[in-house]
Amino acid sequence: MRGRTASIIVLAVSAAGLAVSIYLTIAHYTSPRLLACGENGVVNCEKVTTSQQATFVGVPVALLGIGFFAAVFVLSLPAIVDRPGMRAARLILACVGMAFVLWLIYAEIALIGAICLWCTFVHLCTFAIFVAVLVEASRPAVPASQR
Amino acid sequence: MSKRKKRPVRRPPSGSTPGDTTRTGTKQTGTKGAGTKGAGTKTAGAKPTSKRRPPPRGARRGLLPRWAPWVGIAVVVGAIGIALLLRNTSSASATKPASGQVTSAISSVPAATFDAVGVPSGLAAPKPLPSGTPAVEADGLPLVLYVGAEYCPYCAAERWPLAVALSRFGSFSDLSVTESAGFPEVYPHTPTLSFHGASYTSPHLAFQGLETATNKLGITGYGQLDTLTPEQQRLVQTYDAPPYVTTKGGIPFVLIGNRYVFNGAQYLPDVLRGKSAEQIAAELSDPQSGVSAAVVGSANLLTAAICQITGQAPKDVCTSSAVTAAAKDLGS
Repeated sequence: MRGRTASIIVLAVSAAGLAVSIYLTIAHYTSPRLLACGENGVVNCEKVTTSQQATFVGVPVALLGIGFFAAVFVLSLPAIVDRPGMRAARLILACVGMAFVLWLIYAEIALIGAICLWCTFVHLCTFAIFVAVLVEASRPAVPASQR
Repeated sequence: MSKRKKRPVRRPPSGSTPGDTTRTGTKQTGTKGAGTKGAGTKTAGAKPTSKRRPPPRGARRGLLPRWAPWVGIAVVVGAIGIALLLRNTSSASATKPASGQVTSAISSVPAATFDAVGVPSGLAAPKPLPSGTPAVEADGLPLVLYVGAEYCPYCAAERWPLAVALSRFGSFSDLSVTESAGFPEVYPHTPTLSFHGASYTSPHLAFQGLETATNKLGITGYGQLDTLTPEQQRLVQTYDAPPYVTTKGGIPFVLIGNRYVFNGAQYLPDVLRGKSAEQIAAELSDPQSGVSAAVVGSANLLTAAICQITGQAPKDVCTSSAVTAAAKDLGS
């Protein structure tokens, strides 16, 4: 995977993650609390998004997701993707994001005991960004003029 | 390597290999940079006049080793695997007959406890049905219909106050104790009763409690338990849907005659977490306990609603201070 491919993937995935994070943030603040099961016992987001782990130092994790994906998106824009230090910045951001997602997955599985499918989509987006940025960082940088 | 003398691009320096140039990135630099503009192309074999500027560090090699992505993927997969190992993997316990202590505690909550608990804030109340709703009866008595499932944690929470409230109008036999399904259902292993196989007798009302599914997850989903009669299906399809309730088909579904309806639990199942059925039963009579506040408080609301379909009978129950106060929280 060449540098341009990686940055395009990161750009697209961060846009998708940003959209879902915005949805989850809106849901966090507006969803009524529904204490009913679906007819088939479908796993839902209610317990995850209203759990103690749904906030981090008082900030909804969905809101942190908006910040993360927005930052990754901006750092991957064609206009600045090749500026000095951008690769390192994306690498640090992706590692921090992936570490946080691992904590959230642990919280879902081991602490909360519930899975949120929308959250899982966001986790997959973060994982895709993490892998793409690692691949990018492990390849020689190719100047934009040679791509 | 960057300090070596420039040479024509068609004659690579001795000792270097194609792999070297590829790995360090000087192949592209030499071809498109000095190779095309420098002396190597225009004057083959000429001595270079200036040193080539070393490429930036990131151009010679990546910020990370080439194996870094694989390590990253392995770390993520390993961490998720550890989390899966740490989760509570036990399946729901088997349904068994309720002990005498549990059935006795449910049917003998002191009147003083009902009054002391009252209706704490935060409990969901049954919603009134429009006036003119056709009668809902069974065997000539007003009917209370409950439809739930053993896997459902909200049903697990709601059975406690429903059993406590109904025990003020009649008596249960053959109640069972069980728990809601385990992970990945929400509020896994919430301890509860089961109405499957239980019977209820009362001079004031009829009760039909149905558990449509077990708490055991199989390949095709949870096992089937009780089957609704056509009349019960009609009531569910009619009243377990907007505008009577917020969400169509949600369980637990409770229809109180032709006067009140709701689906969902009245309180969060969290309050029952980690307790046995016997512990919950023992705490019912303690008005200071969280269990009593949730269960007995919810039962007061249900009792006030049921009194509306029994013609305020029995009088000692329906005129108690807690039920009178709860009736004010119900719409009409």
